[in-house]
Amino acid sequence: MNKNFLEVKNVNFQAGGVTKVKNVSFNIKNKGDIICLLGPSGVGKTTILRTIAGLEKLKAGTITLKDKLLSSSKDHVEPENRNISLSFQENSLFPHYTVEKNIYLGAESKKNNGKKKVNPKKIIKLLNINKILTKYPHQISAGEAQRAALARSLVTQPDLLLLDEPLSNVDQSFKEEIQVQLKKILKDLKITTIIVTHDSYEAFYLGSKCGLILGEKLKQFDDPYNVYHFPNSIEVVNFLNRGILIPAKVTGNNSLENDDLGLITGNFIKHYPNGSKVQLLLQPEDLEHDDDSNLKLEVVDRKFRGTNFIYTLKTTSKLLLPVAVHTHHKEQHEVNDKFGIKRPIHLEHIVCF
Amino acid sequence: MKFNFWYFSSLIVSLTVIIPILTVFSSFFEDTTNYFQILKQTFFLEYILNSIILLIGVIFLTFILGVGSAYLVSFYQFPGSNFFKWALILSFAVPPYIYAYSLFAFFENYGTAFTILKFLFGDGNYNKHIPKFSGMFGLILSISFSLYVYVYILARSSFLYQSQNLIELGKNLGFSKLKSFYSIILPAARPAIVAGLSLVAMETLAEFGAVDFFSVNTLTTGIYNAWITFDDLAFANRISFFLLLFIFILFLTENLSRKKAKYHTEVKGGFKKKEKTTLYGLKSFFAFLFCFILFLLSFLFPLSQMLYWTIKFPENFFDLDIIILLLNTLYLVSMSGIVLIIFALISNYGNRVSNRKILNVMSTLSISGYAIPGVILAIAFITFVAWFDNTFVKYFGFVSIKKLFIGSILGLIIVYFVRFYSLAFNGIKSGYEKINISVDESAYLLGYSKVKTFFNIHIPYLRNSLLFVVILISLEIIRELPITLILRPFNFETFATTAYISASEDLLEAAAVPSLCLIVIASFFILLTSKYILRINNE
Repeated sequence: MNKNFLEVKNVNFQAGGVTKVKNVSFNIKNKGDIICLLGPSGVGKTTILRTIAGLEKLKAGTITLKDKLLSSSKDHVEPENRNISLSFQENSLFPHYTVEKNIYLGAESKKNNGKKKVNPKKIIKLLNINKILTKYPHQISAGEAQRAALARSLVTQPDLLLLDEPLSNVDQSFKEEIQVQLKKILKDLKITTIIVTHDSYEAFYLGSKCGLILGEKLKQFDDPYNVYHFPNSIEVVNFLNRGILIPAKVTGNNSLENDDLGLITGNFIKHYPNGSKVQLLLQPEDLEHDDDSNLKLEVVDRKFRGTNFIYTLKTTSKLLLPVAVHTHHKEQHEVNDKFGIKRPIHLEHIVCF
Repeated sequence: MKFNFWYFSSLIVSLTVIIPILTVFSSFFEDTTNYFQILKQTFFLEYILNSIILLIGVIFLTFILGVGSAYLVSFYQFPGSNFFKWALILSFAVPPYIYAYSLFAFFENYGTAFTILKFLFGDGNYNKHIPKFSGMFGLILSISFSLYVYVYILARSSFLYQSQNLIELGKNLGFSKLKSFYSIILPAARPAIVAGLSLVAMETLAEFGAVDFFSVNTLTTGIYNAWITFDDLAFANRISFFLLLFIFILFLTENLSRKKAKYHTEVKGGFKKKEKTTLYGLKSFFAFLFCFILFLLSFLFPLSQMLYWTIKFPENFFDLDIIILLLNTLYLVSMSGIVLIIFALISNYGNRVSNRKILNVMSTLSISGYAIPGVILAIAFITFVAWFDNTFVKYFGFVSIKKLFIGSILGLIIVYFVRFYSLAFNGIKSGYEKINISVDESAYLLGYSKVKTFFNIHIPYLRNSLLFVVILISLEIIRELPITLILRPFNFETFATTAYISASEDLLEAAAVPSLCLIVIASFFILLTSKYILRINNE
């Protein structure tokens, strides 16, 4: 029998008597898997974590971990009796203990009895918190407190680790390094983890699956690649904010047409009958720049994104299209310049709504 | 229904507090002796008028003294400013009645002032030139010099937290120091000052010892006299009703102000230390003089007067069994402290884990006891016990419970509990507010039970708050007079009651020793807590 490690089934997540997310179902297949939950602020991501941790009760649905029912409308295993650790977004360190004592309390937790011990020193080193060990929580920065709390959660070696915006207070310069270290630690220790974040890149890097919580619903739960390339709804497209939807008409099994861009070919991920009017998703990397092309559009904005420039181009029907161009491209364009688009336009995946 | 421990304990506390209030209100509709009619036609208006005059005088003076001194030590550096910062709170160790004894004794005919003049200038008829501070004026001075501390502490704390940006903004707009003070600094501290003045007002209306000593007829003495002189509890309760109406308005004012008392923000890193302006020359001298005279008059003067008498009449020192008085006081302090701390902890923890609105309502109700004057509480308590005894205990034929509660330590502790519960509750609450709820949740997730979280996480963290609360309660109980006077067991005295009894028997010299002991012990407690009271760690 192929049982899931964690199973969340038809759950209504609520906090303070208010339902935040309705009828959610997802699962984590194997021990050691990492999944990420993405969504805007206040949508209920934290409520999901708190409910799985046992800090909020359930009115509908079931949550099962390793075949053991943790929550349902009738049953509720208290948080202290679940082998689940939650690392809060805010500072949740014990204020009267030093950072070191806080972390070692995690190591001494009854929850990791009988397990192969994780060396706290190793975690401390990986999270680069050696220098603050003797300090008290009020003496350290929010980012340091977050890493210390993360270390405390990691050393408990829970069956399930829940991380609420674990790197939201960490400096940008340090964030990527921590992301790499965090993923390595979680994989090495085989700790099954759910990470909540509003940073899609963080979610795409850390999670083997991503769930998008939008408008009180789990809109999509899929591989990061699929979430990015095959968003299943306009809400997901809008949330990821990586492309725009333009009107088009299906003209064949692998072609459609737009008034401004002309013929567009590619592979439909979903079949539409000939003549259907659709909204086509265009992402910045879909259109290719070609200085020699006769399809010229006006540049209305240019954003420098390190590796790429993102040009915003205005079509004759006043659509604004994003186009990514490598910053080493020999000819850079300014606002009001004319910008050529390579034709024929061919898309790897045609995503329409 | 499942038994809810938190709900049950909060209910007990709320009921204990609400019983005296209900007793006073229900007594309003009871028959009294015809003394009430006589009183209405004679002194009642005087009681009310005197209470109002006293209130206005004390509020005016405490505002000047409290805000003035707080402004000087918060914004300016001058000789002794660091000393005055904490020394000015020492006057809290001198209750108004002891200040009244000192004031009277110093200026009376052939009093200390006379002795000093005679010592300096030889024999002479100085008495007619020495002003007499008695009656209403003496009373206003006595209460003001003792209670201005409330305004000083709250105003200073508000001044300290005022953003440096706000003051710099004033400078940037080209305001003079005076204009900055009344158009920026004072309005920003207004809620804190109003809160301080409301506390002063409530304490003034509740004041018994000094009012009684100067024989000024106010509502408080009216209540006491109704009970002692006319032996009419219903009559006493009827006057209490009017006093409670006054207090209720003040209580509302204080609560509304307190809610707004923080115009400033306390975001970590957002507090910018204010640079104090160093004063030079005459300005520096006058700032020093203001604070020094205040310190001299409010603390050194009563202390010296009591010390002088103690040295002058050493027999009083040896006649008094100080050890017994000290043990009695400590006994009351420790018993009440334990009960108050336990219930305040349970109630705070209950509110934290249970998160039920009804518990919040009950907690708010429970802390209203501090607004009720001790005289009212004591008399209402006696009324309630007598009613309960006559109605239920006798009905069922049980042995009378009056002796168990009236004139007993148990009764004293219950009424102290009602009066000082807010101190314990709020003290612990402010400690709890600093512990993020996610700290508790982290503990649960580490496998801690609720009980283990309470003992291993909360108690160690609340240690300082608990210590502070214990000292604050001790300070209040040591100074407390009317409740102890009315409800104490026969022959059980504290420093406060001994001083009062001697003074009321016109033996002011004999009142000096217990008064001095009281001031010394209270000063010791104040010095222990000054760090918390002044929050100097934020400076």
